[in-house]
Amino acid sequence: MAIVELQRVTKGFRKGDEIITPLDDVSISIQAGEFVSLMGPSGTGKSTLLNLVSGIDRPDSGSILVAGTEITKLTRTQLADWRAANLGYIFQTHNLIPVLTAYENVELPTLLLKLSASERRRRVELALEAVGLIDRSNHYPRQLSGGQEQRVGIARAIVAHPKVVVADEPTGSLDFDTSHQVQNLLQRLNRELNITMLMVTHDVNVACIASRRLVLDRGRFLDSVTGADR
Amino acid sequence: MIRYVLKTLWRHRTRTLLTLSGSAVAMFVYCFVGSVQEGLERLTSGVDANRSLIVFQENRFCPTTSRLPENYARRILEVSGVRQVMPVQVWTNNCRASLDIIVFNGADPAQIRKSRPIHLIQGTWNDFQERRDAAIVGGNVAKRRGLQVGQQFTIGEISVHIAGVFQSNVPSEENLIYTNLPFLQNTRGLDAAGLVTQHEVLLTEDADPDRVASEIDAMLRSGTVATKTRRKGAFQASTLSDLVDLIGFAHWLGFACVGLVLSLVATTTLMSVQDRLKEYAVLQTIGVRPLTTLRLVLMESTILCVTGGILGTISAMSTLSFGGFALGAEGATIAFRPTVNLALSSLLVSFAIGLLAGLAPAIQASTLKVVTALRDS
Repeated sequence: MAIVELQRVTKGFRKGDEIITPLDDVSISIQAGEFVSLMGPSGTGKSTLLNLVSGIDRPDSGSILVAGTEITKLTRTQLADWRAANLGYIFQTHNLIPVLTAYENVELPTLLLKLSASERRRRVELALEAVGLIDRSNHYPRQLSGGQEQRVGIARAIVAHPKVVVADEPTGSLDFDTSHQVQNLLQRLNRELNITMLMVTHDVNVACIASRRLVLDRGRFLDSVTGADR
Repeated sequence: MIRYVLKTLWRHRTRTLLTLSGSAVAMFVYCFVGSVQEGLERLTSGVDANRSLIVFQENRFCPTTSRLPENYARRILEVSGVRQVMPVQVWTNNCRASLDIIVFNGADPAQIRKSRPIHLIQGTWNDFQERRDAAIVGGNVAKRRGLQVGQQFTIGEISVHIAGVFQSNVPSEENLIYTNLPFLQNTRGLDAAGLVTQHEVLLTEDADPDRVASEIDAMLRSGTVATKTRRKGAFQASTLSDLVDLIGFAHWLGFACVGLVLSLVATTTLMSVQDRLKEYAVLQTIGVRPLTTLRLVLMESTILCVTGGILGTISAMSTLSFGGFALGAEGATIAFRPTVNLALSSLLVSFAIGLLAGLAPAIQASTLKVVTALRDS
């Protein structure tokens, strides 16, 4: 069953007098539980695609169905509610809230759902355990290493039990070892929790952890390689 | 989410403290200005202001220049609508505007006790009535000058024995010192035996004050000294006319304080929001609604304003309460009193400024383009 379905999606920007179209009549379907990586040169629309799937940007035309909702028809408030319930977002630069502890950062998405305090606590602890940072719960982002911050960011993305997690270059700002740890973590979360993942990356090695790799160039998909073709 | 707002304010504590202190000082001044205005309002429009008259010498202003025969009281009492007349000798240490004016009112102790809205909190009426140089002192004057029962208080040519300290629900009363009438009339320099500064006339329930005032002036026109009779409120407003203008001007100072807090908190909140546009974009990406983002920013500016307002209001109320301040001229005084209304108005104004100051930054944070903010910040 497709959990993400884009049909004939076009998105363009005006840059001075020029109109750039990073996505031109793109269609894609991602099944529930799939781990899809999205590759391609800079400026080819990878992040734009991710933003459209997340509902933080809107297409010029086409339809985007995510977790059973046609998100192009939602208002900003409806989109925010939809994201809170269905989507986790892993940023390249983790983007933790600096004034909140690791625990409080992870707790944020659960505050937007109707959960009891005990259920909230249970979920936050589980998420922090899943990323191996339960002992760092009371640390502020400035007291964590880059890799730890990214793992807190991942815990924040999965804590609300989203149907889809999107990751924008999640290892882009990490060193080799830390990047490797994060890759393993993403792979494990996909397999063990059956979370559908859509990840943008420049790095071929990182892309290989996905079960399907898509290559985007000049607004269109060039290639699609499944895990079995590796 | 309140934790997020509080922690954000704590993280930038220097900026927060500076903004708090700025708004506290402004609200302190706002309360002070408000207190002066309330004092003037009470003086000129209280119940007392319209139901009693002051008979003063015509074309005289400073109390020392008004010299009316004491026996006018008997004639005034004959006018229909007059319930009681109290001849009062006034002495003040300063006819000009002053923040530390001392005003003596010499009158019959029995009449003072019966007609003035005062009650003794220290000393006894007997001591006041029996001793010729005895005086009872208003609470504000006692506070300001550190006076206590049993002490001798000397100012200029006057030296009185303090027989009591009184409080009143009419704040301006607490800036007065009452003495026996003959004592004040015979004070060296006044030499006013048989003369008084003014007659205070209490009216019956159904009397028309303006009619009675006209009748008194018409009747006394044939006497040795012509009079000008006005309602007490009008008399005091006229006596304090120079100050009324100044207080009217100070009204703008109150608005300036409001403007100052508004611009201070708006600037701080705007800077804070612009520094954290990416944070707001992250929050919205996580699923925080735009309206909730708006509320977060408004909460931040309102906390700053209301906390500053509370600090400023508490400081102002304490200062007004313990300082016993009064502004006076020509024997009339305006008392600065802390009131619940003033405190509530200050807090309400702080709250309103908080909302207003946060509005523009809140709209900016809630309507930002998430993708642009994540990319550019």
